[in-house]
Amino acid sequence: MLSKFAYYKPESLEEALSYLEKNPRTRILAGGTDIMLLLRRNVEICEHLLNIKGIPEANTMSYTPNEGLFIGAAITVNEICEDVGIRKRYPSLSGAADNLASYQIRNRATVVGNICNASPGADLAAPLLVYDAKVHIASTEGNRIVEINEFFAGVKKTVLKENEIVTGVFIPDVELGDNSVYLRKSRIKGHDLCNVGLALRLTPEKRLLMAIAAVSTTPLRLTELEKSVEGKEITPELADWIVEEIKKYMNPRPNSVRSSAEYRYHIAGVLIKRGLKKLLEKEAN
Amino acid sequence: MMDKKEFRHIGKPLDRVDALEKVTGKPIYVHDMELPGMLYAKVLHSPYARAKIKSIDTSAAEVLSGVKAILTGKDTSHKIGLYLVDKRIIARDITRYQGEVVAAVAAVDEATAERAISLIKVEYEELPAVLTIDDALEGEILVHEDINELDGGGVFFPQKDSNIASWNKTIVGDVEKAFEEADLVVESKMYLPAAAHTPLETHVAIAEADPYSDKIKIWTSAQSPFAVRQLMAKSFGISEAAIQVIVPSIGGGFGGKAGVHLEPLITLLSKACNGRPVKLKATRREEFNQLPTRAAMRSRIKTGVMKDGKITALKVYYDWDSGAYADYGANVGRTAIYSGAGPYEIPNVEIHSRTLYTNKVFSTAYRGFGHLETHWIIERQMDIIAQKLGMDPYDFRMKNVLKPGKRTISGEIITESTGSPSDCLKAVVEEIDWAGYQSDEERNRQLKTGKVRGKGFALLHKAPSMPTNTATSVIMQMDGDGKVKVLIGAIDMGQGANTVVAQIVAEVLDIPIEDVEVVWGADTDKHPYDWQTVASKFTLMGGNAVIRAANDMLGQMKEVAAQVFRCNVDKLRHKDSHIYHVHHMDKSLPYSKLARGYVYEDGSAIGGIVIGRGSYIADGLTNLDPETGQGLPALSWTYGAHGVDLEVDVETGDIHIFKIASAFDVGRVINRKLIDGQIKGGVVQGLGSAIFEGYIFNEDGQVMNPSFTDYKIPTAMDIPDEMVSIFIENPEFDGPFGARGVAEHPMISVPSVIGNALYDALGINFYELPLSPENVALTIVNNTQKY
Repeated sequence: MLSKFAYYKPESLEEALSYLEKNPRTRILAGGTDIMLLLRRNVEICEHLLNIKGIPEANTMSYTPNEGLFIGAAITVNEICEDVGIRKRYPSLSGAADNLASYQIRNRATVVGNICNASPGADLAAPLLVYDAKVHIASTEGNRIVEINEFFAGVKKTVLKENEIVTGVFIPDVELGDNSVYLRKSRIKGHDLCNVGLALRLTPEKRLLMAIAAVSTTPLRLTELEKSVEGKEITPELADWIVEEIKKYMNPRPNSVRSSAEYRYHIAGVLIKRGLKKLLEKEAN
Repeated sequence: MMDKKEFRHIGKPLDRVDALEKVTGKPIYVHDMELPGMLYAKVLHSPYARAKIKSIDTSAAEVLSGVKAILTGKDTSHKIGLYLVDKRIIARDITRYQGEVVAAVAAVDEATAERAISLIKVEYEELPAVLTIDDALEGEILVHEDINELDGGGVFFPQKDSNIASWNKTIVGDVEKAFEEADLVVESKMYLPAAAHTPLETHVAIAEADPYSDKIKIWTSAQSPFAVRQLMAKSFGISEAAIQVIVPSIGGGFGGKAGVHLEPLITLLSKACNGRPVKLKATRREEFNQLPTRAAMRSRIKTGVMKDGKITALKVYYDWDSGAYADYGANVGRTAIYSGAGPYEIPNVEIHSRTLYTNKVFSTAYRGFGHLETHWIIERQMDIIAQKLGMDPYDFRMKNVLKPGKRTISGEIITESTGSPSDCLKAVVEEIDWAGYQSDEERNRQLKTGKVRGKGFALLHKAPSMPTNTATSVIMQMDGDGKVKVLIGAIDMGQGANTVVAQIVAEVLDIPIEDVEVVWGADTDKHPYDWQTVASKFTLMGGNAVIRAANDMLGQMKEVAAQVFRCNVDKLRHKDSHIYHVHHMDKSLPYSKLARGYVYEDGSAIGGIVIGRGSYIADGLTNLDPETGQGLPALSWTYGAHGVDLEVDVETGDIHIFKIASAFDVGRVINRKLIDGQIKGGVVQGLGSAIFEGYIFNEDGQVMNPSFTDYKIPTAMDIPDEMVSIFIENPEFDGPFGARGVAEHPMISVPSVIGNALYDALGINFYELPLSPENVALTIVNNTQKY
């Protein structure tokens, strides 16, 4: 590792924000499962590393009925997997969490870190997108909330400014009968990145929400596609139509080592069909 | 057949002798080692597949505090190579693959060494590179301009002004005439990519090279300490005796740690640092990028058969994309000419095996030594021919399989002692309930459900690929309490050599297994010679040497006991740690009373220290004829077969394996638990090659997946539901207790068995590895017009 950095672990958000303000180009450490690899491989050279795990707000996870769920920036992926309430209310989030990397990595990796890293294939992004999650951002200038759908700015890029920290992500509450699924395809069944990750949500009012990862420069919420199927009953014919239609929104890299574009187009269709079927099955039960 | 006598230790499912130590984390690996005054090395790699090194500026690195030495290509003229001496220790003037070492630094710690490396400025001129098999064969650009100077020693055949490091041939009979007379001629073209060994422990070495003499001391993660010594002595022009190589515990090798790798480079660095010890450990990325791999291979195969299923002719080109240096690659290529037809009798054969230089990471030995590759071709082709003949692939194989009295393609006559491929095939075919290819109707019925089941099987054979005079040896000493310490030169890197040796010693001496200790940490200054820990040869060769050493001990003890009992030596027997008189069984002495000489009541002593020695050298082997490939290359064949029952997800291309059954004619099981582990491990490694693994290069020859992020190997979640190991025991007459080697074999033919079952499932023949979900799904999509 060529980086020589100052390491700071504040006990409060204020301390963290003022450190960030004073030290431009500070990198934030939560789980460290992405940043440490970049530093070790000298892909990034960093001068300041700010550990946010000592910040009380970051360690908060709280659910308020009729409002929603707040997941602090230091909450690990395994904490999501283990939460029965989340599994009941936001099944696709649990499903995505179950499939992220390996148990050992999930012990460290955080939900917020997964979206801040902004990998196009971020497993947790797709479920957060179908739940219209809100990203809570703080800086010395004040707080702001960004819709998750506006958070990603490109491959490994977000709208975060240098002096900002994501303190957590908020997921609005769901009504009884709300359902969702997460499906992914990877190269092996064990620990692997996804070739395509798909979250589908069906509200009690039969509104279908869709988000897909690893098929473009950012994880995608398919709002336009959702509009065009609004009010339509989910049938095998509709599923076939979506399978064709979704390709218009995909823009997979042509020379990815993980998958050809052709296979990504193919598998997105397979996952759509299977996901819709699963959603209907879940609804019937 | 061997008599069915009861053994005390042989064949038992004993725990590994190192089990407790390994699970409690006690063994020391070179990665753990720190020596007084030790320095740390890092290397700079070429970013280009082929480039001219115009200049190297090390001035900024030199002034960095803590840097002790910087070496570049101009600092060394030594060349090294296993068979063809073609590689500089550090690239000079030109780099031949992305990842090749261009400069090396030794410094007080790793961070300083890494920083120094980042300060070295190299000016390259990128050159057009040889990146494909076709580029290599065209020979417009030569990877080695000086190829004409290479000496193949009559075993390897570098071709003038070409990229062919060795062109080995088998020519038997008249293939062209046989093709004309054949009822059916089947031609295929198949391919498999380069693959990585992925040992848990990356390569690592420490060298201490005396600047005032030739003395070099090396601690390394090598499979073959005596080969390290020999190759370095040759390269540096010094005596083998000057070099001491120590191998503590090593964390897996799979062939990637055979030969010589990091050792010469750190030796030079240590010399440059006044003999301070220097340590270099490969990162995982370097394991993929800098250190050698298994070659990619393309094959064109043509087979002639008669209507009754008899194969009359075989013509094969094996073209190995072997990378920038020949290393073991040339010998992998040579092996294909005597085993590359599979375990079949074929009267007319022409095999051309060409080890090609390309500007890619170079290739070396990898478990199976070319056989996984050649059997991917042969065993797929066997099924394809059976399909075209309308014959059951089992019957077709049985019609052609090698049997006692038949000849291999190099002219060796198979005997009862060689073992039986048919027994192996029969066993797996029964285990998977093979009932012939499924009908189109059955296939189409299943296709509608989205999942299709398929079964398949494949045969395999392998003999050690080694010099005709390969040898190994054993020394063992008895302690005063009758316990035995054994020294061998082979390395136990997980395959269980030390456990097998302990069992054989305990069996021959008839003592408890606890009374035998195979001393860990082979040291060329102390342990007796072993050629190399490769080729699945140690149970056979080392086992025989151990038997001889144990008998040597018994002989020494009996000589002394004969004096004590005043009888002839031939009246004495041994049992349960005692020497006794065959007629007067009360005349009995425990080994403990003989181990350090016998002491009479009055204190006078006779005899001496009991030290047994044994060695074993391959005999009767010959070099292969350069033109026809005829000769006796194989000390011992081991046959095997796999059968598989699997299901394909037609949409995703996922393969789910219900059961894989693997049978090997091992002659005699020495340790049931170890051999079962050996087989399961090998099969899973084979599944890696079959379904997941392969190097991906970009158009500039750069490795695109040099990490476990994108080079996927099977995990616990990817293994079959059920794995069945079947042991056939037709004894090898010259094997210890009848045993043969089976270390590499389990991974051979695993890709072909999956490919064959995919045909049964889908009615589609696959010609390229890996059979990844992507490959399978897209091939199905492109074949949908079939349904």
